[in-house]
Amino acid sequence: MKANSKGISRREFATRAALGAVAVASPLPPAAIDALSAPASQQPPANAPKLAAQSEAEADGRYQAILARYGDRFSDAQKADLRRLCFVLQPQLDGLRAWPVANSDAPALYLKPLVEREKKGNAAPNLKSAPQPAKPEASAGPAGGEKR
Amino acid sequence: MISADILYLSAAELGKRIQSKTLSPVELAKAYLDRSEKLGPKLNAYARLTPEIALEQAAAAEKEIGRGHYRGPLHGIPYAAKDLLATRGVATTWGAKPYENQMLDYDATVVENLRRAGAVLLGKAAMIELAGGMNYRFASASLEGATKNPWNTSCWTCGSSSGSGAIVAAGLAAFAIGTETWGSIICPSAYCGVSGLRPTFGRVSRYGAMALSYSMDKIGPMARSAEDCAQVFAVIAGHDIKDLSTLPLDKAAFTYSPSAELSAKPLRVGWLSNAWKQVDARAEKAMQAAERAVRKMFPGTRNAALPEGPFEAAGGVIIGVEGAAAFRDLIRSGKLAQLSDPLGQINGYVNEQIDAADYVRALQVRGILQQKMEALFDGLDVLVAASQPLGANAIDANLETDLAFPDPLGAIGNLCGLPALSVPCGFTDQNLPVGLQFVARAGNDLAVVRAARAFQQRTDWHRKHPKLA
Repeated sequence: MKANSKGISRREFATRAALGAVAVASPLPPAAIDALSAPASQQPPANAPKLAAQSEAEADGRYQAILARYGDRFSDAQKADLRRLCFVLQPQLDGLRAWPVANSDAPALYLKPLVEREKKGNAAPNLKSAPQPAKPEASAGPAGGEKR
Repeated sequence: MISADILYLSAAELGKRIQSKTLSPVELAKAYLDRSEKLGPKLNAYARLTPEIALEQAAAAEKEIGRGHYRGPLHGIPYAAKDLLATRGVATTWGAKPYENQMLDYDATVVENLRRAGAVLLGKAAMIELAGGMNYRFASASLEGATKNPWNTSCWTCGSSSGSGAIVAAGLAAFAIGTETWGSIICPSAYCGVSGLRPTFGRVSRYGAMALSYSMDKIGPMARSAEDCAQVFAVIAGHDIKDLSTLPLDKAAFTYSPSAELSAKPLRVGWLSNAWKQVDARAEKAMQAAERAVRKMFPGTRNAALPEGPFEAAGGVIIGVEGAAAFRDLIRSGKLAQLSDPLGQINGYVNEQIDAADYVRALQVRGILQQKMEALFDGLDVLVAASQPLGANAIDANLETDLAFPDPLGAIGNLCGLPALSVPCGFTDQNLPVGLQFVARAGNDLAVVRAARAFQQRTDWHRKHPKLA
């Protein structure tokens, strides 16, 4: 891992930032302190998607935040699985963030599709604020067989 | 003695016999209960039977009909409700160990509406724990264990409405109620060879239903035909003051009469070219035949394509965050460990870490997607594609690795709250059912019913049933 000019890697920076946020939010249980002092694994988990360094750091930060809060609940196998899941989630988040969204694009927080259609009558939908990306980002959604 | 042939009749056909008093609701309920007691445990189809309720409701129906008070097409018709719908006096477990003794002292609006229509509650259908809200890796992620597919018991029914699918396919009830957040009605309907309607978001009250994703959960019927789905939907749809997410009165209600289709305008149909990356070779022949049939019965059918974008990611983030909020107590208390599935035991912790900004970004993407789908439906009434790109998977498959295929139509349909109806359209080389789904603009549930009914008037796949000992 390439270190930055301050002497820590980007992944480590993100990890520390995440842990700092957790530490402020709640007192750490002993297991979490153990997790903090344990050396972070530097290798991405097996079978995890390949991520950019920044994304890898974010995924690891998420994993460390879980350990800081709930570390004493998991077996080693579960910890390994958790870390993998944090990495698996990352491409979805990266894909979402990369898609062009304008400041004026309101979140569809509460689905009222029919009411919305009535308001605008039969006018064609305004697609001005919904540009197509030059190349759609690949998204790694949940497994196709895992229905909810 | 009522034969299995009778038990496999559609609710519409059973209703005609009940109305004409040639079929006794009490005898019908007893016959379904007997069959359910015999076959239900072999399939892990039911969470529990409710014989006392069933026989009381059936007797009341028989008495009323005898007096000339026929309530409508579901009067005296036995059904099963997914075990996430509250039923007074009966445990509602949500399929999960932490709730195995949960008693909710009221009826879900759906259950109440069906009771008012005279339907007969046979029992609670097995389901994936928390409807898969914490994710799951194996079909066994349920208090009842893996639900076995009546067509081949070494295969799964799909989830999370796993019991509902098995119950209808095995002739254990005339119809069942399922729910879908992403795929949980359409997939079990396809795997089990039954008809299943996922209604427009907000048309069916969720009062009394377990919440997994507040902005994506929907309740719908699974039955023997599209017509049956429409008749059940007509009973359960409607605004509910107990559920503020339901659409207004005039938008939520659904009325259905097969004869109304005669005067309706022809449907404009689009065959989706990019719903699935690839259809499994074993299901390909059936899908090709289904496409030919659709193009023949809707001569103007043209090719259509879904918009591209991070829609699966948006759906995953929304469900993940809303699920983590819905089950926050379970996550924080550590009771997540009581779930049976290894993925379900830990994934809630990951979803809890998703940033609020990412959640809002997913909602923004949903808003844009809604506009794109509105535009697509300006030129089309119905989109058609395979319900799933394959037949039922092995019951012990690792769903995370063995079935990791993209599902943009499932993501888009559920993100936008679009209605969809899956109907059987053939079989794989291994004699497992294959499904075809019709999807329409939000609010146009009638279009998917019309299209599916047209398909079923010209095919007989929905009349095929598994041979069960």
